[in-house]
Amino acid sequence: MRIVVVGNGVAGMEAAQAARRQLPTAAISVVSEESDHFFSRTALMYVLSGQLSHAATEPLERDAYARLGLVRVRARAIGLDPARRLLLLAGADPLPYDRLILAPGSRARPAPWPGSDLPGVGSFVTLQDLAWLEEEIAPPKTTDRPPNEWAHLTSGASDSPYRRRRSAAQARGRRAERPVVIGGGLIGVEVVEAMLALGRRPTFLIRDDWFWPIALDAQEAGWVADELRAHGVDARTGTEVSALEGGPGGVERVVTNKGTIEADLVVVAIGVVPNTAWLGGVVPTDRGGGLLVDASLRTAVDDVWACGDAASVPMPDGSHRTEPLWYTARAQGRLAGRNASSPGAPAPYARGTWYNSAKLMDIEYTTAGQLDGDMWRFEEAGAVRSSTRIAHREGRVVGFNFLGRRWDHSVCARWIEEGRPVRYVVDHLRQAAFDTEFVLPLVVPNDRRP
Amino acid sequence: MHLQAQAGLMTTYREPWRNRGVTGVLISVALIAFYCVLYWTEWLSPVAEALGLRNKWFLYGGLYSIGMIGGAAYMLRRHGTSRYHQVRLAVNVSIQVILGFALPYVMPWFEQPEYYFSYFWPLKYDALYPHTLQALPGYMAVWAVFGALVLAPAASLLFGKRWYCSWVCGCGALANTFGDPWRHLTPTSTASWRFEKVAIHASLVIAVVTTLMVVLGQTVGGTAVAGIADEMKQGYGFVFGSILAGVVGTGLYPILGPRVWCRNFCPMAALLGLTQKAGRFRIRVKPDMCISCGNCTTYCEMGIDVRAYAQNNESFTRASCVGCGMCAHVCPRGVLKLEAGQPLSVDLG
Repeated sequence: MRIVVVGNGVAGMEAAQAARRQLPTAAISVVSEESDHFFSRTALMYVLSGQLSHAATEPLERDAYARLGLVRVRARAIGLDPARRLLLLAGADPLPYDRLILAPGSRARPAPWPGSDLPGVGSFVTLQDLAWLEEEIAPPKTTDRPPNEWAHLTSGASDSPYRRRRSAAQARGRRAERPVVIGGGLIGVEVVEAMLALGRRPTFLIRDDWFWPIALDAQEAGWVADELRAHGVDARTGTEVSALEGGPGGVERVVTNKGTIEADLVVVAIGVVPNTAWLGGVVPTDRGGGLLVDASLRTAVDDVWACGDAASVPMPDGSHRTEPLWYTARAQGRLAGRNASSPGAPAPYARGTWYNSAKLMDIEYTTAGQLDGDMWRFEEAGAVRSSTRIAHREGRVVGFNFLGRRWDHSVCARWIEEGRPVRYVVDHLRQAAFDTEFVLPLVVPNDRRP
Repeated sequence: MHLQAQAGLMTTYREPWRNRGVTGVLISVALIAFYCVLYWTEWLSPVAEALGLRNKWFLYGGLYSIGMIGGAAYMLRRHGTSRYHQVRLAVNVSIQVILGFALPYVMPWFEQPEYYFSYFWPLKYDALYPHTLQALPGYMAVWAVFGALVLAPAASLLFGKRWYCSWVCGCGALANTFGDPWRHLTPTSTASWRFEKVAIHASLVIAVVTTLMVVLGQTVGGTAVAGIADEMKQGYGFVFGSILAGVVGTGLYPILGPRVWCRNFCPMAALLGLTQKAGRFRIRVKPDMCISCGNCTTYCEMGIDVRAYAQNNESFTRASCVGCGMCAHVCPRGVLKLEAGQPLSVDLG
């Protein structure tokens, strides 16, 4: 039995480990263009800021491949021959498989503006992006280089998300001092925070009327914007970029609908798309490029499964959607590995209540469920500042948005699934509290209860 | 000013002095040299006298207090506001200044011996020797026995060993303040965990055997037993009291992190760790929220791979955990919570 996993991110590594648990003697190969080792992509900004080392972002010790009996294949996958069951690799012999698990993840949504290929312009998704950005803005390091950072160059592909961009800092002879971050989402705000840690005061361009409208309402986002500005970030909402300008040395200006901004570094954080173009349509995709799978995460191609950011999974309402989240990638990876190992008795992908969390500068954010319907809102501004928003329909809670305090999303999800009345939930909120010790608990006065 | 419940922006440890650069190594060399001078010369005595302090140990106590206060201010500035850290560091500093410096200094004025109420056996290895106890006023002898044999284990069962190691103990308090800039340097490998388990339990056995021998030598023993006991006492004091707790324990802060002594050699930490495993303290993990970023593991000063538990949704109690609270504080997803509630087997549902 030969199992091949494409991608050694969280989905791919979970799939490989699940397959190993099921099939102790199978030959399992893990293909990666990006890195020798599985690392936590969500931690890249902490390496940029200097809060973590490269090695610290690796969840498994470096002997993991040997310990789990996985064959490491460092190569760029460039296609699939499903008839002959071959994974095609750049510069290497095709890799034969009996079962194939595709976990190629996401790549940055390309910048659509003229000048996006100037030196000093790039995104921040891959290990190679990190290496580029460190060269642009972080102080030089003598130790702790990323693992095998140059291996991607052997493929020589200019369209690879793992190629290494030219840095403008090198041509200029000094590090970037006037960085601009484009894109009002999670990666954007995290890059901004990392730049603050590096002593810069970035300009943060947000196209919408407020920060992260998909998750926050105007009031919540207003607090985040205040926090950004209080730390010296030039956060500009309602700002649409139209072009990046500069010379051969690199980017010099960002042209927007609200004027031109001087810049010597531009990080484009306008979202991610499934990294599936290399499959050339051999595996059917949804309109966004996500690999269509059934509930057992099987694609329409024989003996091929997909999981993680690149998989378009069936939702309870019948639609298909990609879920670019850490915890769904982990769950899908485990399931794909298990189902590819024993396809006769597949387990279904059970998507529970939506939840997520983040840290927006100093402000912790937790969400669960859907935020539509009537809204109960409570803000405190005493010893602790926090904002709590609970959505309910016909008196039953359907969603939560919390800022400023920590909450256990699993308790909130349970309340949603149980259809608890909003009054009950507000009366029992303390059961979901997860603040560290000695933090004064949230107290909702009686006259503010729903 | 309004505070978030858990605040603190990303930081950086790229400064060479915090990241085993040349300046870091120089600080380590300076600390080691300081401890050598303190323990084995009298060079500091004239300095102490010139400052009006009774002897070099009070000079050391004063420097210790200054290091802790400065370190606490730096720590709070770097890691932001957190009531757990604010309360804990306030207690740390108060205990050091009052019980670790001022009280022992003034006690002779009231014809009482200089006594440090915040140190217990087996950390204070001579605290239970019969000759030590006999020389003390009755209430102090009772405190020494009660503190070591009743208070310390009982409180560890209830709250975890953090009540001592991160709230009271001077060694722990120095590590969490003056030593905080280097907390990410503690090794986290499986190999370092294996070494820790052997070393710290061996230290406990050695401490217990030495104490029993000295008790035997000072009570029933003949000259032969007393002689051996005396040599063991001297040897223990030299190896554990001076080399491992002082020269190595503090001197290697900028190289191996601030808890080398506490993690690998402190017999009190070993004893309270075993008690903690049987008690109520644990780190609770919020299910399926960990993003495996590695902040908790990096900033654990005891080298616990916290992430390994967090990403497996396992609430856990580790004997070595001193409950400093930093893993919970630095977690960007709020996954971890220190608590001393129901035992692990109880489902919180």
